[in-house]
Amino acid sequence: MDKFKTSTAKVDFPEKVRGEAKFTDDISFPDMLFAKTVRSTVARGKIKKITLPKMPEGYHWFCADDIKGENVVNIIFSDWPVFAAGRVKFIGESIGIFVGKDKEILDKLASEIKIDYEEETPVYELTESYIHKAFKKGDYEAAKAKAVKVIKHTYETGYQEQAYLENQGIICYFDENDKLTLTGSMQCPFYIKRAVMRSCGLKDDEVRVIQPAVGGAFGGKEHYPSMIGSQVAVAAIALHKPVKMCFERAEDITFTTKRHPSHSEYEALIDQDNNILGLKIRVGLNGGAYKGCSGVVLSRALIASSNAYVFENLDVVGDVYMTNTTPTAAFRGFGSPQTIFAMEMFIHHVAKELGVDPLELRFKYLAKQGDVTANNGHFHDPIVLKELMEKAMKMSDYKRKLKAYSKPGCNKGIGMSIFLHGCGFTGSGESDIIHGKVKLVKDEHDHVYCYAAPVDFGQGNRTTLKKIVSNTLGLPEDQVSFEAPDTDHTPDSGPTAASRTIIIVGFLFEKCAKHLKEIWKSGERQEYVEPYVGPSYIHWDEDTMQGDAYPGYSWGVNIVEVEFNPVTYQVSVLNTWSTYDVGRVVDERIAVGQADGGLLQGLGYGYLEEMKCVDGRMRNRNLSDYIIPTFEDAPHMETAFIDNPFIYGANGAKGMGELTLVGGAPAVALAIENAIGRKISKIPANPEYLMEVMKHEN
Amino acid sequence: MKINFNMNGKPVEIDVDPSMRFLDVVRDVLHLNGTKEGCGEGSCGACVVLMDGKSVNSCLLPVANAIGHDFVTIEGLKETKEFDILQQAFAEMGGSQCGFCTPGMIIAAYSLLKHNPYPTEAQVREEMSGNLCRCTGYQAIVEAVLKAAKKGAGLW
Amino acid sequence: MVEKYIPASKKEALEVLSKHDCYIVAGGSDLMVMKKNTAGLAPKFDKDILYTSHIDELKGIYEDEAGVHVKAGTTLDEVLNSKLAPALLKKAVSQVASANIRHFATLVGNLANASPAGDTIVVDFLLDAKVKLESVGGERIVDVENFVLGVRKIDRHPDELITELIFPKLDYSGDMWWKVGSRKADSISKVMVAGYWGIRGKIVEKFALSFGSVSIKAVRSHDIEKEIIGLSVSELKARKNEFIEKYGKIVTPIDDQRSNAEYRHKVAMNIVSEFIDKVVGGK
Repeated sequence: MDKFKTSTAKVDFPEKVRGEAKFTDDISFPDMLFAKTVRSTVARGKIKKITLPKMPEGYHWFCADDIKGENVVNIIFSDWPVFAAGRVKFIGESIGIFVGKDKEILDKLASEIKIDYEEETPVYELTESYIHKAFKKGDYEAAKAKAVKVIKHTYETGYQEQAYLENQGIICYFDENDKLTLTGSMQCPFYIKRAVMRSCGLKDDEVRVIQPAVGGAFGGKEHYPSMIGSQVAVAAIALHKPVKMCFERAEDITFTTKRHPSHSEYEALIDQDNNILGLKIRVGLNGGAYKGCSGVVLSRALIASSNAYVFENLDVVGDVYMTNTTPTAAFRGFGSPQTIFAMEMFIHHVAKELGVDPLELRFKYLAKQGDVTANNGHFHDPIVLKELMEKAMKMSDYKRKLKAYSKPGCNKGIGMSIFLHGCGFTGSGESDIIHGKVKLVKDEHDHVYCYAAPVDFGQGNRTTLKKIVSNTLGLPEDQVSFEAPDTDHTPDSGPTAASRTIIIVGFLFEKCAKHLKEIWKSGERQEYVEPYVGPSYIHWDEDTMQGDAYPGYSWGVNIVEVEFNPVTYQVSVLNTWSTYDVGRVVDERIAVGQADGGLLQGLGYGYLEEMKCVDGRMRNRNLSDYIIPTFEDAPHMETAFIDNPFIYGANGAKGMGELTLVGGAPAVALAIENAIGRKISKIPANPEYLMEVMKHEN
Repeated sequence: MKINFNMNGKPVEIDVDPSMRFLDVVRDVLHLNGTKEGCGEGSCGACVVLMDGKSVNSCLLPVANAIGHDFVTIEGLKETKEFDILQQAFAEMGGSQCGFCTPGMIIAAYSLLKHNPYPTEAQVREEMSGNLCRCTGYQAIVEAVLKAAKKGAGLW
Repeated sequence: MVEKYIPASKKEALEVLSKHDCYIVAGGSDLMVMKKNTAGLAPKFDKDILYTSHIDELKGIYEDEAGVHVKAGTTLDEVLNSKLAPALLKKAVSQVASANIRHFATLVGNLANASPAGDTIVVDFLLDAKVKLESVGGERIVDVENFVLGVRKIDRHPDELITELIFPKLDYSGDMWWKVGSRKADSISKVMVAGYWGIRGKIVEKFALSFGSVSIKAVRSHDIEKEIIGLSVSELKARKNEFIEKYGKIVTPIDDQRSNAEYRHKVAMNIVSEFIDKVVGGK
């Protein structure tokens, strides 16, 4: 038995199951005021005039004029104002907040405020590119000469809403030393801290951020809390009182960021022996009204656009388009679910058109160690993709079922996706930009405290990171504690994003623990801070998108079995079988939990979850009309891991948070294709779409 | 209006507007914060409490309808043997990740097992489908409920 | 100021209604969503409210020569666990919302709210249910098809209280219930179809179909049913497409955030086709 992998008690479980964990809305302060946002009702225009209602005593209005620092939310590209400044770019954009004690009065004020706009024609189509990226490998144009055939297809993916169970919310207050402090539903405490410093014009030692229990995030709380945090901070500073803003579901679904809808065009050059000579890929993402992190999302989408396959010639171009709609941003997978869906469907469609076995075609181009990546870097580490595929196929009886289900009229189908996910920040970003640090403190009783910034919003990293430390130090688990991030005591180990927590922060903790062990003096207080040093062979040029895109890759295979109802066009997902290479699993129960949950989100993205934006307005306003899977929709899931230790990972572990989502959509879409004998080129492949597809000939 | 009911085994008298949501009474008046609000429209189940032993969405229950009934929230349930079995099964199977849905899940599982002590997997999925979870993919929770059913045989 | 009444008897409730125009709240699961306010604030009711959940006389299910009576305070969960309730009704009830909601939402509430997507209304229509309304002045019984007037509109006078839903005894040889939602559970219907049939010899002796979520209210065509009843099985089989076309004209769905008109129409017709196949034993 591998002691390292054995499941250990989840640190935060007792307080959560007993209902004792304090989530944001469970926290309150004496004298606390509430904030209510006033939002734009037009998609694009100038704010001509704001007429405030008569303000009762104790009620206040805060807007762009009240920003003491810069009126921007500090995101990677900071173009989104904290409060709309003179103009609005989407329905729901924050114009200001009313703050006061009684929610009823705040509602009344919000209904009475009058805002005059000079409306402009909004843009809803993908016509105005505001971010453009491109890279090439080999020479696609030259390869054309050898091609006898060109195959082209177009793929579309829709919005996806994170639908964490706990809505967004932040409270800003003053701590026991009268220091401005924020707590709330968040992914990245240091992002909020820096955002508030920038918007409120404060210094590093003037803002503190503390993480409470967080009810799910999935990327949705990576940047948006910086916006809410800045807004409540403006009010809290002005009034010197605690201010709380917690969204309800309709506000959260309609106005917070979601996954980028995409439109991708794939073109393959085929020679006379049915070889794929190269791909031309054009990707368009709908970024909504503000750029935010969309440039990085586009990077990941493009880097992942040829998925786990290696082709000699690539011509890849992508754009993010401005539309006057709710901005899109981070969501588990971060651009790669869109293009991995497209690539997985495309290679399948190419095989069908060439009349060759899709499995053989995929095997032919599978990435191997040493291969040159899409960005002319290298796959430095061993790759066990073939083993993952073989294992998953065996678990699922794939080949037999595929054959049986291919008979017309049987209405069952099986589909397989293979995929990779680059862990950590793009290129050498971890060493060059993030500069992550962790800290271990040992007290006089030899109890060790772990300090790092990753927020545990369900993934279990309070448990897994602590486990890495206790195992490395050879201490019993109860002699080590993981402290929830508090920016006053925690070193900045970077955001909880990009599947970096285990591969980067875990690795740091392992090194830190090794150092602490070396200097260990029983009975003495000791402290060790470890800065990140990544693999020296990783080089990346963001401008040209050339080099090693990520410090390491995780790999996976999903096989999905479905049943199709020809009367209602509904799909039931019956079973799934998954295999993953995440280096080495840190804790089996937590890893399986990530695998199950990520896959169900990926499946939902593929066949169920649809968000409609009509004339700039999100039509889905609640969990009764934004449909996520229930207990009954979820399939039976089987998961296996293959060890492939990574040298720069804690005990060999790589990332897995996002990996488990990216294969769900193509696997379920390919299973549906198998069941209905027709091509799927759009997700969600919901019944309304399948009805359209069924109109076409087989 | 004076409103009376039993909460976690104790009689409660409060003076509130009877049209209020029971959820707001539980959280804001009685300060029982283990009951969560996820959607406010009865879709997610994070707010379920036991009313006379059955799970109900407290966000849809007017306080007027609570009069005279027996309620149990997670704060009351956690003192019971049944809770111990459920929480242990959830721990072992990994039935909780972010934990926001967890108190509601425990309440719904208790309600199910009290009325159907030997459920099949399909029945667990069917009966608990009003409780959404975005983290686990549900499988671990189904396994936990089945495990608790078995372990608590005779207790339910 | 909105008044709230919490009577303990039917008599008391009828007296309140004789003097005040009220929203009647039974379980509350529907009205609490419709009148939802900011969290922490009382819902936004714009007239007086009468809560009926404490009236014991309004609870229970009984049977007499007129049929099975489901009293207005009976929860969906109680209907589901009743030996008397019609089997087809129980099938529909088992798919309404979730167990959590069925524990307190009522069958009559589902009817009284008259949502075009009200699941059980489709079965009420199919089973010729009758609505019993009482007021201080007396009582009246209305056919459910006449009782539901449109989107959230019913034939209830302000002084009346629905006290029962009555399901007359019906004999048929087979029935069917289709709820097409956006997911398998806890969903609002996109299309619903309920039907039953009876065959004697080779003649279609009974035939009824009703639809939900495809019009402003549940729909059923007695005219088409009359045309079908009396046909031989082979005649019905031969004229299947003709009847599908006829049903196609009474099914008039719309586009909304949950689905679109074309899908709803197409699926409803696919189900009619399946149903006729089943009736004629074609499949």
